[in-house]
Amino acid sequence: MAVYKKTYQRYAGTLTPAWSRAFIIPRYAFEEMHRKRFLNMFFLASMLYPLVCAFLIYVNQNLNFLKLLPGAPTQGFLEVNSTFFMALLGVQSMMGFFMTAFVGPGLISPDLANNALPLYLSRPLNRKQYVLGKMLVLVTLLSVMTWIPGLLLWLLHGVLAGNGWMGQNLRVASGLFFGAWIWILVLSLLSLALSAWVKWKPAAGGLLFGVFFVAAGFGAAINGVLRTKWGNLINISHLVGSVWVSLFEEPMNRGAGAVFFRVAAGEEIPVWCCWATLIGICLVCLWLLAKKIRGAEVVRS
Amino acid sequence: MSPHWKLWTAQVAAILRLELKKTLLSRRGWWMYLLFAGPPLLTFGHSLHVMSRGSWNCTIGEDGMIYATIFQFFYLRLAIFFGCLAVFGNLFRGEVLEKTLHLYLLAPVRREVLLAGKYLAGLIAAIVIFGGSAALAFIGIFLHFGQGFQDFLWRGPGLQHLGWYSLVMVLACIGYGAVFLAAGVVFRNPMFAGAVVMVWESINGYVPEILQKFSVIFYLKSLAPVEVPLRGPLALIAVVGEPVPAWLAIPGLLVVSLLVLLYAAAKVRQMEVSYSE
Amino acid sequence: MSIVFDNVSRFYGEVLGVNRVNLTIPPGVTSLVGPNGSGKSTLMNLMTGLIRPTQGEIRVLNIPPDEPERLFQLTGYCTQVDAFPRGLTGYQFLYSYLRLHGKPDAECRQLATEALERVGMAEAGNRLVAAYSKGMRQRIKLAHAIAHKPLVLVLDEPLNGLDPMARAETIALFREWGQEGRHVIVSSHILHEVDRISDQVILLSHGYVVAEGQIQGVRSEVTDQPIQILVRCNRPHLLASRLFEQDHVVEARVDSDNKGLLLRTRDADRLYLLLNRVVMETGLEVESVAPADEDVNSVYQYLIGHDGGTA
Repeated sequence: MAVYKKTYQRYAGTLTPAWSRAFIIPRYAFEEMHRKRFLNMFFLASMLYPLVCAFLIYVNQNLNFLKLLPGAPTQGFLEVNSTFFMALLGVQSMMGFFMTAFVGPGLISPDLANNALPLYLSRPLNRKQYVLGKMLVLVTLLSVMTWIPGLLLWLLHGVLAGNGWMGQNLRVASGLFFGAWIWILVLSLLSLALSAWVKWKPAAGGLLFGVFFVAAGFGAAINGVLRTKWGNLINISHLVGSVWVSLFEEPMNRGAGAVFFRVAAGEEIPVWCCWATLIGICLVCLWLLAKKIRGAEVVRS
Repeated sequence: MSPHWKLWTAQVAAILRLELKKTLLSRRGWWMYLLFAGPPLLTFGHSLHVMSRGSWNCTIGEDGMIYATIFQFFYLRLAIFFGCLAVFGNLFRGEVLEKTLHLYLLAPVRREVLLAGKYLAGLIAAIVIFGGSAALAFIGIFLHFGQGFQDFLWRGPGLQHLGWYSLVMVLACIGYGAVFLAAGVVFRNPMFAGAVVMVWESINGYVPEILQKFSVIFYLKSLAPVEVPLRGPLALIAVVGEPVPAWLAIPGLLVVSLLVLLYAAAKVRQMEVSYSE
Repeated sequence: MSIVFDNVSRFYGEVLGVNRVNLTIPPGVTSLVGPNGSGKSTLMNLMTGLIRPTQGEIRVLNIPPDEPERLFQLTGYCTQVDAFPRGLTGYQFLYSYLRLHGKPDAECRQLATEALERVGMAEAGNRLVAAYSKGMRQRIKLAHAIAHKPLVLVLDEPLNGLDPMARAETIALFREWGQEGRHVIVSSHILHEVDRISDQVILLSHGYVVAEGQIQGVRSEVTDQPIQILVRCNRPHLLASRLFEQDHVVEARVDSDNKGLLLRTRDADRLYLLLNRVVMETGLEVESVAPADEDVNSVYQYLIGHDGGTA
């Protein structure tokens, strides 16, 4: 068919900056999440514990308020220390785990199952931007659930307590920040990798539970049969907990408390082993993502 | 055999052929092979290591307790639970996600027969994987005792223990299989049902005795030949209920599973094919 | 024995699928025609039991769709869904699902082989379905629907993705089955092919049956649209001047080759009588006289096209 009316004109207007293209993905993911009432309610419920902590911190530092309550102690009743903030991080991280199990599988697996990846990758969007965009969803959610309320509570207590409390407890703040980020990175990469690997949303969610709980159980079996402690290397919760303890507390000042993270003396795995294993897990997840996020699938008969 | 039963048997066999190929003999079932191989590799590896060193400071009783702990806390609460959730939950829901369920519904098969065939396929796969794994792990953990293990097995309670463990395994697959098959038929995402059941089974030891009876683990625990006491700080708040006798637990589990399957069959009969999210 | 829809409606929540459908589909090739979303697939899913009607009753050869064990011995359905079980070759796919009929192994092997040959997939039968092209997947779906030699064939856009040769062969197959007395229900957007293969058509729009029957019969019922008649003759201008005097002739257009005249009239019988008189009086040499809009495309435009449907 001859072309005789060359009226087609390419778009000549302004383009958005290339670095911002990846943000389109989380924007739509959040819109879709917002439509699900259960997720909204779960997210709100996850803010309850930090709110309760904020109330307790306020009451603990507000002697006038304490005097109003009959039978209440006249001095503070709560010791706000590394144990307190580790417990906060633990609870929020567990809520974050469930949130990731609900949200994570739906990020990549539907795109693969419905052959939507070629549609993404045939636009000026590369694989790295695609994965980054998907990861931003989880990173944002988990940040809002973990280190952001944690640091806000640290600030609140610091302001109310005064007397240089913040300067003396900088390690706690850094523990909150870096501890949460380790959890966020491991959880996000694991969730995305499993979502890309199995292509089925429910199966990816189940596999995430399996990787955490079944691996932990098998690790305990290894410890029991071989009378060793190295089975804990496949228990991600144990690894992260050990790293948290090392971040929050001085090596010479490891006290009692935070019972869920502390292991019996003689059964600790060296912290560098925990770090190395976690980094290894992240690298394996990145490798899985690189293998699975492709524009076309080749089937060999 | 009446013509109906002959036809249904042939159809169930055809469904088994299709499903077992998908469940047992596919690359996508790699996680099942890991669950199957993990504990036996661990116990056999340990036994071979001990036999090569020639000495080990433990008794059959101690290793028996370790196996009982692995059985209860790894196999029952984790491996079989998640394994059955994945296998049975995907029997129908997986077909909907893959958009292949209509191929079965467009065949001249009663939907109840379809459900029975799929359930049997899942059950065979689960029993082979988890039952086989548990039996092999049992042999592996005691192997290094040599003659002591032989005596324990043939002249002692060993064979009886193995029989009870196998029975518990089969009952767990039957029970969890029925629940998760029904969840896959009724719910869009059976993982939610799985999460609820998992949380309930986890806290089962700490709820009042009357509520403990609403649990698959409660009955299966009663049938295990070796009791495993709870340890750690949470043992202080555990509620230890009266064990249920075998003559009640076994038929009770079977009846409940059958009722759940009948409910699922009624739901499948009404099922409509809708592949949109 | 027919396929009967008795006051059938199906709603998806508040969205209408089909409404108050009353149909009796006889043996032969029947085409379901309508724009996207008109209810063609809904009707097909209803008659095969994949979905249930909100109200009304359906019977296929006197069998209700909720008895699949009886219905699918006689019915085959080729859906639009392009998905297959993983890890199966074309042959294995046909064979495995034939075994569900309860037939013995040897018979299933033979039927699977015959079905592959029928659709021209005998050589590719041992390759994985996942490695097939779109056209090959369409053909294997067709093979799956016909393998057990059903009496009723329901085919949802069966020509999608087929090359011209395959389309011609498949159309010939439909005509053959229709002539054998089977019920062949086809949905298609390719209206000139619908014309070629169909004995009767059912036109759907927005979930309602707009028209059904043989295409000539349907056209004659559409009285608000003037009938188009094409007359090939040696002096079209003369004919046009004589016919245009009549009040029932609303349009006369001379062909670009000056050998034909396209007429639109509200009364075809009077036009034919007048044509005879003009020929007698003027000695006009008439080559052919034929209706120009007794086809599915025209009827579609008249009945559905104005609602924004796609032809």
